[in-house]
Amino acid sequence: MTSALQNDLFDSLRLELRRGCLIVAVLAQLRVEHYGYTLRKALADEGLAIEESTLYPLLRRLETQGLLTSEWREEEKRNKRFYRLSADGEAILEQLLVEWNGINDSLHKILKDQRGR
Amino acid sequence: MELLERYLQAVGQYLPTKSKMDTLAELRANLLAQMEGREEELGRPLTQGEVADVLEKHGRPMLVAARYLPQQYLIGPAWFPIYWFTLKKSFPFVVAVYVAAYVVTQVATTFVEGARGHFDIGAAIGHFPSVALTFWAWMTLGFAFFEFAQGRYFQKVDFSKGWNPNDLPKVEAKGKQPSMAGGVADVIVSALVIVWLLAVPYKPYLLLGPGVGYLHAMPFGLTSEWHIFYWQIIGLLLVQLGLKTVMLFLHGARRWRKGVEIVVQVMGILIITIMVQARSYFVPRTTSETMSLKDLATINTAINLGFKMVLAICVVKLLWDIWQLIVHSDAKDNGYAKRSSCV
Repeated sequence: MTSALQNDLFDSLRLELRRGCLIVAVLAQLRVEHYGYTLRKALADEGLAIEESTLYPLLRRLETQGLLTSEWREEEKRNKRFYRLSADGEAILEQLLVEWNGINDSLHKILKDQRGR
Repeated sequence: MELLERYLQAVGQYLPTKSKMDTLAELRANLLAQMEGREEELGRPLTQGEVADVLEKHGRPMLVAARYLPQQYLIGPAWFPIYWFTLKKSFPFVVAVYVAAYVVTQVATTFVEGARGHFDIGAAIGHFPSVALTFWAWMTLGFAFFEFAQGRYFQKVDFSKGWNPNDLPKVEAKGKQPSMAGGVADVIVSALVIVWLLAVPYKPYLLLGPGVGYLHAMPFGLTSEWHIFYWQIIGLLLVQLGLKTVMLFLHGARRWRKGVEIVVQVMGILIITIMVQARSYFVPRTTSETMSLKDLATINTAINLGFKMVLAICVVKLLWDIWQLIVHSDAKDNGYAKRSSCV
């Protein structure tokens, strides 16, 4: 496999791996109210950089699915749309975190077993 | 900030009217906040070039707008494998049905209307892509409509459930499995043979090539009975073609397929039997005096003997295949009986 092909494959797999994790991260971060830009900054500060063009539409989609609520409010003389986790979103987030922790534990166990051989 | 307004206008062109204003207002607020954040970092207002950098990094307007649109599929990931499988599996049938329909049409034209044979193979092949495209379009539309309608007009179909492993077909006996491509090729070749046979009376060079000139110069010609044999053979070949097409649809039903294969062989034997019964294939031309009747009788006997030998081989082959079918059928039944008795 050429290095270009390998890079493409890695990018595609990385994207797939990140997709679900980003949703969990966004839901978790929105336990505290944010608008698009500050949410992106908060995630980046935690080490999870996400492109604006991915994040903003994702917020809309999660709101349509009932996982987020939003309201327009003026802040620093400018109207901004603030998002927050809804009650349904909180319930789904709890389930997703259980799932994610389960996967994480299993993966660690598999890797630990392999190192032990 | 004129550049930002131009950018938002460009994004807005691809957004649905209903949500456009709301989406653009949010995007403007976020982009402005991002630019202000950058200005705070630099401690000065952004230049035109730096604003352009922010917008360029944000993405091409059409792609940005596309991400705000609901994800839509013509055929979604759940049904796409089934759609693709159906397309792949049904394509050979399209080829077979097209070839069979073309041959039947040509035969009907020749037989009913008495028109002179005009088998334009090039035109038939050239017309096929449009037939294949039409088939593909209807299949795609059918699946797309199904995808759209399920959940809206009828209950969503969950293809992953509602199946029973016990319904799976029994394990096929080891050996060469009949190939679909081979079956389709057989149908096409059989159809081409019919077309060729139909064209021969009008274009004898298709049978003998340049040798047709010598045939005219020969002191003998074909017997008039050839016309009767000819149409009997064409009729049987058409039945054989139909059966071969049916065999394609019996791809999974091994025993039925074997049965139809034997019927196809019987058809072939009937054709050779007709040739054997003919006995006389060539007759002297009325003007001919250069060839004795005895010599011609010898030629006819030799040809008849040749057909008899072919007939004998075909009959032996048929009997062998019938025997194999019976033997394998018994072995298979016994095998399953043994296996089930072990459980």
